Amino acid sequence: MKSDRSWVGTAVLIASILLLWEAAGHWRWVADGTLPAPTAILVRLFAERGEYWPHVLATLKISSLGFIIGNLVAVAAAVCFCLWPASERLMRGINIAIFAVPPIAIVPVLVIALDAEVAQVTLAALLVYFPSMTATLAGLRDIDPRIADLVSAYGGGRTKMLLLVRFRAALPAIMSGFQVAAPAAVLGAVLAEFGSGARWGLGTYLLGSLGRAEPDRLWGIGLTATAIAGIGYVLAAFVAHITTGTNRSVTLIAPPRSYDAKQDNAVSRVAMGVAAILAPFLLWQLLLVIAQLSPIIAKTPLGVIDYLFFSKFSAAAQVKILAALAQTIPITIIGMLIGLATAFALALISFAAPTIMRALLPFALVTQTMPLVALTPLAVLIFGRGITVTLVITISVTFFAAFVVLAQGFALIPRSAFDLVDSYGASTLQKLRMVAIPASRSWLFVAARLAMPKALLGVMIAEWLATGRGLGNLLNQSRGYLDYGMIWTVALVSVLVAIALYQMTNLLDRLTSR
Amino acid sequence: MQGLPLSFTGVKKAFQIKGQALPVLDGLDLNCPAGSFTALLGPSGCGKSTLLRLALGLELADAGTILAGNENPAAMRKTGAVGVAFQDAALLPWRNVEDNILLPFEVLGRQPDSPDHIGELIRLVGLEGFEKARPAELSGGMRQRVAIARSLATRPRLLLMDEPFGALDLILRRQMNLELQRIWSAARPTTLLITHGVDEAVYLADRVIVLSNRPAGILANIAIPFERPRAPALFRDPEFHKLCDEISAWLEPQAEASSR
Ligand SMILES: Nc1ncnc2c1ncn2[C@@H]1O[C@H](COP(=O)(O)OP(=O)(O)OP(=O)(O)O)[C@@H](O)[C@H]1O
Ligand SMILES: [Mg+2]
Repeated sequence: MKSDRSWVGTAVLIASILLLWEAAGHWRWVADGTLPAPTAILVRLFAERGEYWPHVLATLKISSLGFIIGNLVAVAAAVCFCLWPASERLMRGINIAIFAVPPIAIVPVLVIALDAEVAQVTLAALLVYFPSMTATLAGLRDIDPRIADLVSAYGGGRTKMLLLVRFRAALPAIMSGFQVAAPAAVLGAVLAEFGSGARWGLGTYLLGSLGRAEPDRLWGIGLTATAIAGIGYVLAAFVAHITTGTNRSVTLIAPPRSYDAKQDNAVSRVAMGVAAILAPFLLWQLLLVIAQLSPIIAKTPLGVIDYLFFSKFSAAAQVKILAALAQTIPITIIGMLIGLATAFALALISFAAPTIMRALLPFALVTQTMPLVALTPLAVLIFGRGITVTLVITISVTFFAAFVVLAQGFALIPRSAFDLVDSYGASTLQKLRMVAIPASRSWLFVAARLAMPKALLGVMIAEWLATGRGLGNLLNQSRGYLDYGMIWTVALVSVLVAIALYQMTNLLDRLTSR
Repeated sequence: MQGLPLSFTGVKKAFQIKGQALPVLDGLDLNCPAGSFTALLGPSGCGKSTLLRLALGLELADAGTILAGNENPAAMRKTGAVGVAFQDAALLPWRNVEDNILLPFEVLGRQPDSPDHIGELIRLVGLEGFEKARPAELSGGMRQRVAIARSLATRPRLLLMDEPFGALDLILRRQMNLELQRIWSAARPTTLLITHGVDEAVYLADRVIVLSNRPAGILANIAIPFERPRAPALFRDPEFHKLCDEISAWLEPQAEASSR
């Protein structure tokens, strides 16, 4: 019953949005017709359908390859991490970097180091890896301890446990990981096409259409990319449904939590930590050695340090980087805070009025499958090339991701907690203050961790495409000038910034949890 | 196939709960000779299940020695000599009844003794017709019966059962008692049965051990004199009831105080 009504609410919400959109497009309410009516977009899309096919096929190919490879690596890694927990701690630096990095920052680097198509698949696979690995690992680890005891009692070791229990128990989690990974693969493919100068692909098509003032074309491409991602999600959900008989809507994968290492002594813990920090750099060096690239275009970690501190360009490079950081970071943080606050407020309001939540949640879930890169140009069309567009993108990206997390978090608060204060006659406000707000504190941080890389990605795409400021712009410019040192430096700095923001969120989480 | 001896000597075990040590066993000695049937009674939370987990090597003792078949428990369980039924059925939710009973064979890399072995076990616990049912489709008592069948499947030489009949109604419980006695008499596995049913303990066991509250020590060790095979009529025997009352008295809270 409940779920039926929630779908009605969502349908009404979406229908009203579409109607409003149609009216806005028809009478050119928004920014002089930069928001075309949905019907106009569809008409244009249909007229140009012949032009779309090669691009759609190219994107499909890249994202499917990325999806397959990314998932294979993710499942294999999760099995390793599960069997040898030390390996996970060793790879922690790499995992966090993969999770936190705004993917656009490494596109140019990948394009330099690899063949165009390989670079695209790699990016798609990288974006697939993290959600899939985390979901699989959680599923493999989180088995019923009574069943684990039983298998041990009959002398079963790690292998038997893995084969007879863990794999099967993890299946639903693995499937939900695939669900999140499918749209991520599409995002990766489009993003990589976008920066790699490939001939075909929706990213290429988008880039080629940017210069022409044809909003309906840009919207058509954005919607097509969204549709592909959405179909990927639905397909994965369908496979999950037939293999496990459930289709829990798991859309978000929580970022990694710190591994509990209290059983080790301090020395080995520090050694592990240092190794985990060094591992990404070793991997970077190793990949360059394997790829056998000229040191002029492919910078090693030491090469970047040399460029930034000891070369004749370093003074100028430092000025540029610092200026870019000063433009990118504040706006990311401000946008994230506004987005988080809005999501939190709305989640609290919809707690008092559940209809809002039920109507908005499926809509917010849908937004989580949209490829950000295809939507940014549309925001640029509407909000112009100034700072507003950056802010709008950051806020909305953060808002929707956070809202989904908070809504799911609220749903997990035990009913009995509310019933208890209820039975003492608590008002709605008191229930919020005594139960809902304290219980959702940790979810707020989960939301922040999850939204942070997305917000940074949104900001950098906007900078790259439109605003001509910040790290995104610096990256795009350096590409144009073939300033390889700068390209590698920006990639590294972006990763470091992302990790710093991530760790700051963790720190805040820990400080406020006392 | 002989039963394997099981012995606890000076076994100590404490759990850490929020940095505080909770002593559960404090120097426990218990010896189960090969082929014996020991029933273990004691108040809830006194450490009976912990004792069983120690015997399996799933939990490590802080001090003292535990020998199962003259080996350390972790080594012994690899030999496939042990059969176990935990307090909760611990069935794999994605496997049907048959496949759940087959699990120990798969873990041990063995085949059942005969093609109909699993079928016999299913009939033994009265689950014919439910061979293909998943645990979610069974009642609590039916799940427990699957676990009983599974504990017997490998023809163990050491049988450890933790309240295996807890969820069964009285009639079924009696019926299962009879079956267990029959199987035990035929194969004579060394058996440790944890139960809250005094009559069931007296009916099945060679001796009944009553544990005290935490930290658990042996409060009483009562030999059961009745001849085997024991007929169901024993449940109505006055002698039987006298013994049951005597043991129940040990389980009353004041028994512990007066024994000190
Ligand atoms: N893994 C554990 N961590 C912490 N404490 C534990 C653990 N396992 C058991 N305990 C504690 O040890 C004590 C004994 O537990 P145990 O399960 O052995 O009791 P029991 O005698 O089997 O009780 P019951 O008859 O209710 O099954 C309990 O107080 C319990 O809280
Ligand atoms: Mg117990």
